[in-house]
Amino acid sequence: MEYILHLLIMIAIYTILVVSLDLIAGYTGLLSIAHAAFYGIGAYVTALLSIHFRTQLPLNVMASAIVAAFLGVIFAVPLLRLRDDYFVVATLGFQMILYNIFNNWVGLTGGPLGLPGIPKAILLGTRIDTSPKFLIVAAGLALMVYFVVRRLVRSPYGRVLKAIREDERFAQALGKNVRWYKVQVFVVGSALAAIAGCLYAHYTTFIDPTSFTVRESILITSMVILGGAGSLRGPILGAVMLTVFPELLRFIGFQSSVAANLRQVLYGSLLVLAMLYRPHGLMGEFGFEK
Amino acid sequence: MLSQILLDSLIAGSIYALVALGFGLVYSTAGFFHFAHGAVYAAGAYLVFSAWSAGLSLYFAVPLAIVGGMLIGMLMEIGIYRPLRRKRASNLTLLIASLGMFIVGQNLISLIFGDDTKTLRTGLVSEGIPILGARLTKVQLGIITSSVLLIGCCWFLLKKTKIGRAMRAVADDPQLAAIRGINVDRVILFAFAVGSALGVTAATLVALDSDMTPMMGFYALLVAVVAVIAGGIGSIPGAALGGLLIGAAEQLGAWRLPTEWQQTIVFSILILFLTFRPQGFLGRSFDKPGTW
Repeated sequence: MEYILHLLIMIAIYTILVVSLDLIAGYTGLLSIAHAAFYGIGAYVTALLSIHFRTQLPLNVMASAIVAAFLGVIFAVPLLRLRDDYFVVATLGFQMILYNIFNNWVGLTGGPLGLPGIPKAILLGTRIDTSPKFLIVAAGLALMVYFVVRRLVRSPYGRVLKAIREDERFAQALGKNVRWYKVQVFVVGSALAAIAGCLYAHYTTFIDPTSFTVRESILITSMVILGGAGSLRGPILGAVMLTVFPELLRFIGFQSSVAANLRQVLYGSLLVLAMLYRPHGLMGEFGFEK
Repeated sequence: MLSQILLDSLIAGSIYALVALGFGLVYSTAGFFHFAHGAVYAAGAYLVFSAWSAGLSLYFAVPLAIVGGMLIGMLMEIGIYRPLRRKRASNLTLLIASLGMFIVGQNLISLIFGDDTKTLRTGLVSEGIPILGARLTKVQLGIITSSVLLIGCCWFLLKKTKIGRAMRAVADDPQLAAIRGINVDRVILFAFAVGSALGVTAATLVALDSDMTPMMGFYALLVAVVAVIAGGIGSIPGAALGGLLIGAAEQLGAWRLPTEWQQTIVFSILILFLTFRPQGFLGRSFDKPGTW
């Protein structure tokens, strides 16, 4: 039972990550391999705040989102001018720099040893100290993020985003400030990703840089692409599949190091096959074909 | 001390210049970021290792690995990229597919050889020849000379031969090149062959000089991306200079800062170039990747 709760909580966390990345990559067409960096920002901000100041969950969520949004602005304003594939490279560089900071700034982040002893979340005076309680909080936040993004993409604002994705010059010709829209979307998506990090830090009570590597970023991006970029249900399906699948491999009884490599081989092949035969993923609208 | 740092910069830079050149050659001809170049690179080092472990002398193992690496690169082009181009895939689609192939390649190497460090060294580390207060081993001398030679050959290939001119034509405008009777697919395949050979050569030199891990391809690839962008896409001197710049930045950075920040320096260079001069220092317009 505890195990199933754990899986459900991880699915809730990944749901936040994929939905927020889908807003950036699936709806606006800005492929990013830096989502784990913003996820990490949220986790570290929450860990530091709650270890040093015993802050409550709502404040941690807000602070994580604000710090991530701030970094998102610093990154997005100069680099969103770049053409699509250059932008991917820029996000990769950003991901590497942030990972290095998590890993090397020992005084702040604990370096490779990480930050142990993060207190459990406190919401309205109650400690969220059991898995069922935490699942309720995580699912609540995931639903909130889902509805925020759904509201955004189904509004006229979302139609502008899709127009930018399909034909940037055309959107510009309609008088839309394309760059400003892109910056907004990137910042909102990054801030939402930090909420997932906040949950993760409270849930595991221990974080270290290995959870926020470029590999993790590629995993989140794969969930979106394989599930189907540009739809909301697709990436969530991707998140469920890619969270549950490794557990199945474990049941079959592979050695954990072999299983880790096999899993990566499978993700990689799925990405290649998806690009060849089904660029829209399982149920997506957008196959990065502009 | 300083002369050793400069020499180390030159050695690292020579390697990076070769990887960057191979990567840049594919980018400018085929028009997308071939991330799987990093997997070809690591595969090259492990090919040398397996041939050498099987009892072959290094004089056979190295050429064998280079041919093997070329074949892997060409297979990727024929098996994956070419069908994708036929479907008019965007450069983002190609990039995602190549990222997928990179992940597959790196993890296959991990599965086959294990994650531990492998080395081609048997005896003691050789002491090196003293030059101007610095020390240089024979392998390192080989790295510098082969890098200079290969960069020269590439320049000659692109500027003075027929296939080189065809490559420049395809880089400039594939449709126009096709109209003029150039077989674009064959030219791109040729670019993959040459690019992979350059990458694998660099990898074997690294394997001879130090050692190898399955993860070695990732950093080499990132360095190649940074070097090519810093130097200016579509410029041979640019890729070489970019490689030297990264080598120097790493070594000089390690002199003043703790070594764990080396990578941060490299990626900060990337972000700085993308922010202020995305066409690199020798590139021309930004909208269009320049021609060789």
